[in-house]
Amino acid sequence: MDELKKIIVEFAETSKKTKFYFKDIEKAVQKVNPDAKMREIKKACTALINEGTMIYFSTGSSTMYGLKGRGMTEDPQ
Amino acid sequence: MPFEPKEPQKEIKYEETRIYTDAELNSYTDEELRNFKIKHKIPDLEELENGPWPSFVADAKQEALHRRKLANERMLIDRDVVEDMLGQLQVSFDDGETHWKHGGIVGVFGYGGGVIGRYSDLPEIYSSIAHFHTIRVNQPASKFYNSDFLRTICDLWEYRGSGLMNLHGSTGDLVLLGTITEQLEPIFFELTHVLGQDIGGSGSNLRTPSCCIGKARCEFACYDTQNLCYELTQYYQDELHRPAFPYKFKLKFDGCPNGCVASMARSDMSFIGTWRDDIRIDQDAVKAYIAGYVVPNGGAHIGRDWGKFDIQKEVINLCPARCMSLVDDELIIDNKECTRCMHCINVMPKALKPGKDNGLSILLGAKAPILEGAQMATLIVPFMKAEPPYDNIKEFIEKVWEFWIEEGKNRERLGELMQRTGLPKFLETIGLPPAPQMIKTPRENPYILWKEEDVPGGWNRNVNEYRSKHKR
Repeated sequence: MDELKKIIVEFAETSKKTKFYFKDIEKAVQKVNPDAKMREIKKACTALINEGTMIYFSTGSSTMYGLKGRGMTEDPQ
Repeated sequence: MPFEPKEPQKEIKYEETRIYTDAELNSYTDEELRNFKIKHKIPDLEELENGPWPSFVADAKQEALHRRKLANERMLIDRDVVEDMLGQLQVSFDDGETHWKHGGIVGVFGYGGGVIGRYSDLPEIYSSIAHFHTIRVNQPASKFYNSDFLRTICDLWEYRGSGLMNLHGSTGDLVLLGTITEQLEPIFFELTHVLGQDIGGSGSNLRTPSCCIGKARCEFACYDTQNLCYELTQYYQDELHRPAFPYKFKLKFDGCPNGCVASMARSDMSFIGTWRDDIRIDQDAVKAYIAGYVVPNGGAHIGRDWGKFDIQKEVINLCPARCMSLVDDELIIDNKECTRCMHCINVMPKALKPGKDNGLSILLGAKAPILEGAQMATLIVPFMKAEPPYDNIKEFIEKVWEFWIEEGKNRERLGELMQRTGLPKFLETIGLPPAPQMIKTPRENPYILWKEEDVPGGWNRNVNEYRSKHKR
């Protein structure tokens, strides 16, 4: 789990984009760790959300993940 | 079977959850409402009030007047929200484009759906609706509430939100329209901890499952839609609140082929009650319909004299499968030809009933137009039993999800994926054999192709041997 979390954060920090579809995260993780299962990656993402490292970004119809502090990560005031 | 909640249900003390007094709720007269003008000019919206049907504009103005009369400390967001919303809508009518921005970071902690960020792009003019987020509330199965619950929700939303709501959104949720970011967590707390009510799905999630009134109120229901809807809502909480799908996914449950929640047109996975034995016929009741002792259609359409009930014209000739006949006043149905159109059962509900060996059909892939045009669902499972704990249904759902999550592109609905990959591959992946019921009409959808391994000798053959029997 910690290893997956590390891979996800590394990907989210280094990618050109700041918001990711879950599928993009899954692909990025499986590039580094081909054995990683979708369920495990999802659990790692949820743990990162609960810790506050990552945030959900929702358009209403689809949802993306982003790293808190990178790109638009606060509610515009 | 009596309803058994998964967790003990706490009793809600409605006398403590209500916020407003009757005097506060009935604070204006009809006269005041007739003369009421909101602070913006809204000529096009007022035009909508002139039509023959009730208008949301009239409702919104009523709410605006109500908010003007409430004391300042009795609302936690700006009193002008409704007036500003109407004002901005008039500007959108003038400009022919929306002035809402949507999406963003807003949500409640730990949930990836249920709250949809809305922001005005004219915040200087309509400052009270600069933030105007939407909250989806998971409706109870079949949308059965008691009035105390609805009053409490209305009070809560008046106090912490705009007071504007939409009952119900297309997915079935109660849609609470318009509040500010700071109120999201308190509203979530009140809904979940006080009212025992979860918020619904939005984004790339399983959307709030929705069902018809089912066995609670309808004799046609072939399975317990409410129980299945409740069970799957509880079982798939993770999919509902923590998004990991390529796009939205909707489950809808119709108890019979009348399809009162239109699952066949509106859900990625549609469950429609059906039977695999014969339609039950009470021949005495058939005779009573023919003789005019029982009104057809359960008494609907009696506002006009349509003449004596004619079973031949009104039932038998209208059967799309032509599988009915009347012999010596006995109604005969060739059940293997029945396509479950429900017409005969709807016209003569006392005489005809769905069979007793009940279950459901599963159809996949309906959607509204976004990337591709609108699509109706394709029948994939002709019949499956639907009995608790529904392991067969869960197994099927998960197989489909597995395929869609693996193969689906970002923002691709299941119906679009099925279209892109073709039905043979889809059937192969989910491990179902092709069946005649999957074909809409004969000689249509010729999608079943031979594979080399299924043909004796494969694609290689001795042409000379063939030609010895078949001349050119």
